[in-house]
Amino acid sequence: MAITLQTKTGEFKLDSDDASETLLFRGLSAGLSLPYECATGTCGTCRARVMSGDVEMAWPEAPGASRLKRDKGDILLCQSHAKGECVLRVPSDVHSGDRAAAPHRINGRLEGLKKLTSDVVDFEVALEQPVAFAAGQFMVVTAPGLTGGRAYSMVNYAPETDRIRFVVKRKPGGGFSNWLFADQAEGAGISLFGPLGTATLRPGEDGDLVCITGGSGIAGIMSILDHATKAGHFSSNKGWLYFGVRTLADGFYLKELAGLVEKSGGALQVILALSDEAAPAASHPDYPSIQLHEGFVHEVAARGVKDFCGDLNERTIGFVAGPPPMVDGAIRVLLSEAKLPPSRIRYDKFS
Amino acid sequence: MSWIKLCKTTEVPENSLKKIWAAGGIPILVAHYKGGFRALPPVCPHMEEPLDESGIIAGCVMTCTKHLWAWDLATLELQGETEKPLKTYETKVEDGELMAFVEKELLYDFEDEDDMDDDAFFNS
Repeated sequence: MAITLQTKTGEFKLDSDDASETLLFRGLSAGLSLPYECATGTCGTCRARVMSGDVEMAWPEAPGASRLKRDKGDILLCQSHAKGECVLRVPSDVHSGDRAAAPHRINGRLEGLKKLTSDVVDFEVALEQPVAFAAGQFMVVTAPGLTGGRAYSMVNYAPETDRIRFVVKRKPGGGFSNWLFADQAEGAGISLFGPLGTATLRPGEDGDLVCITGGSGIAGIMSILDHATKAGHFSSNKGWLYFGVRTLADGFYLKELAGLVEKSGGALQVILALSDEAAPAASHPDYPSIQLHEGFVHEVAARGVKDFCGDLNERTIGFVAGPPPMVDGAIRVLLSEAKLPPSRIRYDKFS
Repeated sequence: MSWIKLCKTTEVPENSLKKIWAAGGIPILVAHYKGGFRALPPVCPHMEEPLDESGIIAGCVMTCTKHLWAWDLATLELQGETEKPLKTYETKVEDGELMAFVEKELLYDFEDEDDMDDDAFFNS
């Protein structure tokens, strides 16, 4: 049941016959550099055209499908399964890479589920096999009885590990977050596909770091800062983290962040931006190394960046993670206030 | 058509973008970068984002904040991962008025020029 992918850089065949995986995941796990961004149906990056054969799109109403020419057979690879032999066109440069290092399916057990705030939980997944990932990458997570996958960034970092940590914010009507909050998830078997994503701090990479994030977007940034700290990054570079939450009580990972500030010897600054209440003091009552400011995180960052943009080194990297309006606002700050070229900005947008 | 007035140059400060409805109901984006003006179709050639909202100019570079496609407005060179060039109207300034030479509305071919229909594209 061969699947043929015609791309700008030649033709590839997928020989695995695991029809339960999406075409995107089948291609990626075969080592192909297929185009994708969110891998969960919202961005529309992984569009392809079915030239022949039977391909079924699981979620035709996916936000990322709104611009597809369905009458011409266009689909999203991340939402589609092949029902037999088929030929597809992917309008991009695609290359074949090392299959052993490709993203793949990994099973694990959910452990250590704990509530961090009224609407945020974190948990670990004990993996059946260790996985290697880059700081800032994510996995697409599926849980028993829930349809569709959710993308979550790893919070921790280790070159290779069999324990990874995720953080999830409860969303109204969010199937996965409601399942986590219903207290039946501890010990459950869950399935992951990854690692995915390119908003990463690459090993050995140098440069000041300006990170802007809100809510659970902190996940991948925690991994990046953890990696940077372990690699001695802040002995020769500076860092700023702007972390947006609604109120002081909504802050989390503050103890860990205060620890990173301390280890950096002051080269890393952490600023908690409170959008829905005034900052009670200039620094956090329990973690004095964390600064407090009032306002939306990109506005707080815009004011802060003005003061230090002249001190940024040439290799500065901007990291942004969060919901689309926050990401767009933060990218604006990095371009116009921090004067970073677009090639030095890496973002992770989720909705 | 021919040379048409877009706006006074003072109406669009440096490092900003403004969408103008020009004569004939043609939407034109005026971009004031360091050293000059450009007149462009008002959408990003990537995914049709409205550049008057999603675009930002710093120095000579205009970036669409949605997916970080970017162009040098002085040379029109594509920056970084950007895959498509900008289309531009010729411009000139007369008596403080920015003018554009508009023969017909410039459009990106999101519908017609579909590279997936182009067999040569996949057999190269």
